[in-house]
Amino acid sequence: MAAVKQTIEHVESLEKYQHGFVTDIAQDFAPKGLNADIVRFISAKKDEPEWMLAWRLDAFERWLAMDEPEWAKVHFPRIDYQDSYYYAAPSQKKGPASLDEVDPEILAVYEKLGIPLKEQAVLAGVEGAPRYAVDAVFDSVSVVTTFKKELAQVGVIFCSMSEAIREHPELVKKYLGSVVPVSDNYYACLNAAVFSDGSFVYVPPGVRCPMELSTYFRINAENSGQFERTLIIADKGSYVSYLEGCTAPMRDENQLHAAVVELVVMDDAEIKYSTVQNWYPGDPVTGKGGIYNFVTKRADCRGDRSKVSWTQVETGSAITWKYPSCILRGEGSVGEFYSIAITNGRQQADTGTKMIHLGANTRSRVISKGISAGKSSNTYRGLVSAHPKAKGARNFTQCDSLLIGKTCAAHTVPYIEARNGSCVFEHEATTTKLSEDQLFYAMQRGLSQEEAVQLLVNGFVKDVLQELPMEFAVEAQKLVAISLEGSVG
Amino acid sequence: MSLSAALKSGDVTLLPGKRDEDWKWTDLRGLLRVLPATAPALDLAGLAEGPFDALADQRHVVAGGHENVAIDVPAGSERAVALRVLSRDGGALAGKVTINVGPGAKLRLLESYEGDASAYVTDTAIIFVLEAGAAVERVVLAADGAEGVNVSQAQVTLSPGSEYSQTVITNGARRQRIETQVTHPGAEAKLRLDGLYLLEDKRHADLTTVVLHQGVDGATDQFTRGVVRDQARGIFQGRIVVEEGADRTEARMRHNALILSDKAEIDAKPELLIFADDVQCAHGNTIGALDEEALFYMRQRGLPEAEARALLIEAFVGAVADRIGFEPVRDIARAWAADRLRA
Repeated sequence: MAAVKQTIEHVESLEKYQHGFVTDIAQDFAPKGLNADIVRFISAKKDEPEWMLAWRLDAFERWLAMDEPEWAKVHFPRIDYQDSYYYAAPSQKKGPASLDEVDPEILAVYEKLGIPLKEQAVLAGVEGAPRYAVDAVFDSVSVVTTFKKELAQVGVIFCSMSEAIREHPELVKKYLGSVVPVSDNYYACLNAAVFSDGSFVYVPPGVRCPMELSTYFRINAENSGQFERTLIIADKGSYVSYLEGCTAPMRDENQLHAAVVELVVMDDAEIKYSTVQNWYPGDPVTGKGGIYNFVTKRADCRGDRSKVSWTQVETGSAITWKYPSCILRGEGSVGEFYSIAITNGRQQADTGTKMIHLGANTRSRVISKGISAGKSSNTYRGLVSAHPKAKGARNFTQCDSLLIGKTCAAHTVPYIEARNGSCVFEHEATTTKLSEDQLFYAMQRGLSQEEAVQLLVNGFVKDVLQELPMEFAVEAQKLVAISLEGSVG
Repeated sequence: MSLSAALKSGDVTLLPGKRDEDWKWTDLRGLLRVLPATAPALDLAGLAEGPFDALADQRHVVAGGHENVAIDVPAGSERAVALRVLSRDGGALAGKVTINVGPGAKLRLLESYEGDASAYVTDTAIIFVLEAGAAVERVVLAADGAEGVNVSQAQVTLSPGSEYSQTVITNGARRQRIETQVTHPGAEAKLRLDGLYLLEDKRHADLTTVVLHQGVDGATDQFTRGVVRDQARGIFQGRIVVEEGADRTEARMRHNALILSDKAEIDAKPELLIFADDVQCAHGNTIGALDEEALFYMRQRGLPEAEARALLIEAFVGAVADRIGFEPVRDIARAWAADRLRA
């Protein structure tokens, strides 16, 4: 009940999108538009080696020859890729050596977002308390990375992508683009050409990462698309949990966000990747101004008995186009996908997963909970496939949709391809509205309609919330409530 | 993009192929480089009896020279009609059947596709219009040849209070697609769409359905099962659309398939597209091998393995045939399925 009460208080305190403020910080822009020179500019700004520039230019060439995909159930005016900035770095005097040297205005922004950059101090006296390492991405450049030292002691590399390109070129060369090839899709290819920054994680063999790693993204500069590139490598027998949370300020023009996340998992290793996304969804009535979130996320379970678990809570963005996938190559590898996607107002989400079973005895599990309200549209699109060599492949998929209101839409579009005689695939899906009986029961017990709805919705998404790390789960539960604000009655 | 347009114009680029989302698993463009010549007229005299002729009081044939058939069931009357689509001698056939079922009328349509061993290409368009309170039970037995290409597309328009039940039973072809599109007005109209595919060798069968719920109080019940072995490929695509305002719609879709060989393939796409909130819609899809525990149990009871397998498959398949309302047809369907399974 406490959580529900908290949620309600939160909703009441909320008159408009909480994180819709704009911070004025001196920005270093690349000129508007996109051409080979801009790609060179980005590469030069970031002091990249020649091979990286060549990689980017090659991606740019390929991107020019590609067409924007149109198969998703989302509608938006055509994006003018020439009418956007592709590089924006907050200007700084020097590289920050510690938190004290970071632009206080940036720190103030984080404070508003409630990012625990100073958690070190907070947690200092608490023995055995979970610790988090935060690699904060402020627009396009990682500003500060904490906990680096402690991670270095166990051999974990956790840094920005630009730093990794400079410091660990052998790892980057080996793995970058090995899961999501340069020309995988239109947006991934664009990302390869102009990616700004992102996180790089390498966990050496046998190491269990001593803390949960986390990145907060925030789109700040007006009209600047953000193109993160994240690469996580879990070497043999290692484990890492990675959290990603997002907020963005309110503004009028649509912002493009095309990130690429690549996970590489070796023998007996495990990566847990959690996302809470609450970017600005656009004006609830007109749909104007929201973020376009076109993300490519893919995990390659290369090793035997490797495991990847994707958990996502998608409540924001005007348009979400996102299919975190698992390529289950290693024998006995496991892929999991837990998702809550909530759309309200004019939001459109087309999201789901791909579980590609290539190795023997691979297993996957998909739990997807979609909630649509207002005039929004929410689509689950997923693929489960077993190749002839994937003997004994096993999948269980459950996708449930909840509809709140007369004008919303919920779609389920699963693709199932079985190509051998020993796989077992199960899929079930339901689409319903909130049960009148349950609502009546809850309200009869003294809950207001809004409270009753929240209680039922929380029950509906419980299976997924359970998969989130504790701190994220609390935040996510609040988000669920905020996202559905004003959708009943 | 359709086979009928390609047959009419002779232009193979009009064939649907992999790049067309609804045909991605049934690629005709990649298969047919040239279209065969139009099938010569078939002499209907002396034609052997079809599988359902004995149960019908009206018989129609779609074949070379007999492309168009119209069936009209006047208000309040009852008919049992046998409709045969005969594909012969490597020819191209584009058939068209229009069926009107008047208010309160009842039609039992017993449809069979009979192909020889040649590489024929057949396309049949069937237009059903059901007036208020009309009832149709359609049973399709598709016995195509291993080299044939057969596409059958039915467009069904229901009226308030009408009832349409369908069972498609097929053993596939080189490429075969049996598609049913239903426009459902809600208004207490009832729809049942069942399918059964039993495939072996390199046969291919695609059962596709699209149901469009346009009004309140509609019900749809779909149940499809399949068994594939060897290098066969079974496809199930089911789409249920509930349009805005089509409240109190109840739609259920089930697809279960047994895959009995490592070279066989089953592809499924059970879609729900919902634009109304007061609905109960669900789909379930399972693909897998025979239940090893059930096999073990039966062998433990003294049944030889082959027999145990056959029994389990027969029971699995029987669940679809059991839903056919008219008993003599049910028996024919069961016997036909049993023949295929024993082969």
